[in-house]
Amino acid sequence: MKNIDYPTEILQSLEDYKIDFREFLPGHGKGAKLLLNFNKISGIEQVDGIILKGREIPNGIIADVLIKKGTKVEEPVHLCFGINKETGIQEIFPRIIAEDNTNVKIQAHCSFPNADGLTHKMFGHFYIGKNCEVTYSETHYHGENSGALVAPVSYIYVGENSVFENNFNLTKGTPGKVKILIDIYALDNSVVRSNVKAYGKNSKDSIRIRDSVFLEGENARSVIKLKAAAKDGGEVLMYGITEGNAPHCNGHVECSEIVLGRGSICRARPFIRATDPTSSVSHEASLGRFPQKWLDELMAKGLSEEEATNILIEAMLQEEEKF
Amino acid sequence: MLLELKEVTIPTLDQKCVIINEVSFGIKEGSIHAIIGPNGSGKSTLAYAIMGLGNYKVLHGKILFDGFDITNLSITERAKLGITLAWQEPARIDGLSVYRYITLGLKDTTKMREKVVEALNIVNLEPEKYINRKIDESLSGGERKRVELAAAIAMEPRLIILDEPDSGLDFIVLEDFMNIFEKIKRLNMTILLITHREDIGMVADYGTLLWRGDHIITDVFPKVMLRYCAKAGLKEFCKRTLFKDGAICFDDEYIDRIFREEGVS
Repeated sequence: MKNIDYPTEILQSLEDYKIDFREFLPGHGKGAKLLLNFNKISGIEQVDGIILKGREIPNGIIADVLIKKGTKVEEPVHLCFGINKETGIQEIFPRIIAEDNTNVKIQAHCSFPNADGLTHKMFGHFYIGKNCEVTYSETHYHGENSGALVAPVSYIYVGENSVFENNFNLTKGTPGKVKILIDIYALDNSVVRSNVKAYGKNSKDSIRIRDSVFLEGENARSVIKLKAAAKDGGEVLMYGITEGNAPHCNGHVECSEIVLGRGSICRARPFIRATDPTSSVSHEASLGRFPQKWLDELMAKGLSEEEATNILIEAMLQEEEKF
Repeated sequence: MLLELKEVTIPTLDQKCVIINEVSFGIKEGSIHAIIGPNGSGKSTLAYAIMGLGNYKVLHGKILFDGFDITNLSITERAKLGITLAWQEPARIDGLSVYRYITLGLKDTTKMREKVVEALNIVNLEPEKYINRKIDESLSGGERKRVELAAAIAMEPRLIILDEPDSGLDFIVLEDFMNIFEKIKRLNMTILLITHREDIGMVADYGTLLWRGDHIITDVFPKVMLRYCAKAGLKEFCKRTLFKDGAICFDDEYIDRIFREEGVS
């Protein structure tokens, strides 16, 4: 990919997520890349075994990512869907296909640093073949003003013996109005991990997340972990859904939320359903504030209560997942 | 005196009874001062009240730090004056690294890495192995306590309160901790050591004995320990074990006198 004129302010917010934004730029790293500014494709960089294609439509793009059979790459595929305008509507239609025996990481960033009444919609389909290991990580930044109206919808099919990890992170800036819907269908012996983190910081923020895993194959396993914090009037509603519909499948849903400040609302609703008598599905949910002892420990290091709370929120939302 | 307590009374949260009853004593700057006493004597309560924890309010009396009345100051304000506390069972905050945790209390944010490395070295944790570890369940109880101590040391406080640092540690680790306390003392930091173990208390210069919330004695540590044994009626233990052939010995006549004062023949 030749040097392109891509607004750095769109990528800058990656630093807040401790991701080196230069990895998304041409000439840096070895990974495949696709950069979108509003409805214009600013650049595509291909690598062996991965085909990236984009077709511009009036308000966005249809983006195809094809990982060819047997492809195993270390460097992540970088996708950036950005807008540096204040308003507008962006619609993204990603179709991601990982053929059999592939191993790939996809790092997507949706960034709207100046958003003030902007709308971003995504309607994504993922098809993951047999014996694959695919990680899809998506970070969001909706600026510091009033956020954006963001509504991503993803349907994900995970093939036999495959491992799929989904990481969705919306913890920086002001999110705005966000509605996330993720449906994952897990086939025989597949493993699904889905981690969603969100942080509503003020009354402009209303975040609704529905993350579902349907265990449709024998011995399929899944863990959904939803973590959120709401403060100063922010609102977060999280549904974690798992259905055990196949023999010996096993799923777990975990929702943890922290609510701080007057007017803030957190609601966590784990929903589990089993239609096969040999399946096993469990859930746990917690809502509340941090233990006073934790705050005291940090305050004894000279932090104010607010600083201590912010550190604990940061820690909760940055906690690395262990499986 | 670096810290002075003047007739300090601390009630239970519901204020129905008193945990600490008009306690007065002082802590000399640069010393290791142990507060000893049996379970339930109010040692930890006193430590938390000195740190300023919300559930341990002083009902009567004053706490002076370097002559300045800190009785009504918040934890944060006291920490900024140079008081900190290393907890008996510090929390495990999964998302924080050891590095981040130790840097939280640094007053000066220059050369942060050097300061973290130095603090980890003092507590005998290899910096390169621990600096990026998470403060989570993967740390053993002893490692977590060392990280807590390192965080306290990195703050360069004037007074470190160590709340039962011996709890849950085996004797090998305990010996190491006592060496660490000596190192902290050499950094010109004053240590207030809360313990109910005579062996760890022996590292202290001075001591205070609390008994059911009352102040019994403040003196050089061996005298305080002797009084503790007398109140507990542990004469044989005292003569045969505690002060037998040590550098600090009391003759039998003196020991008998102290025990008689406590009504033990």
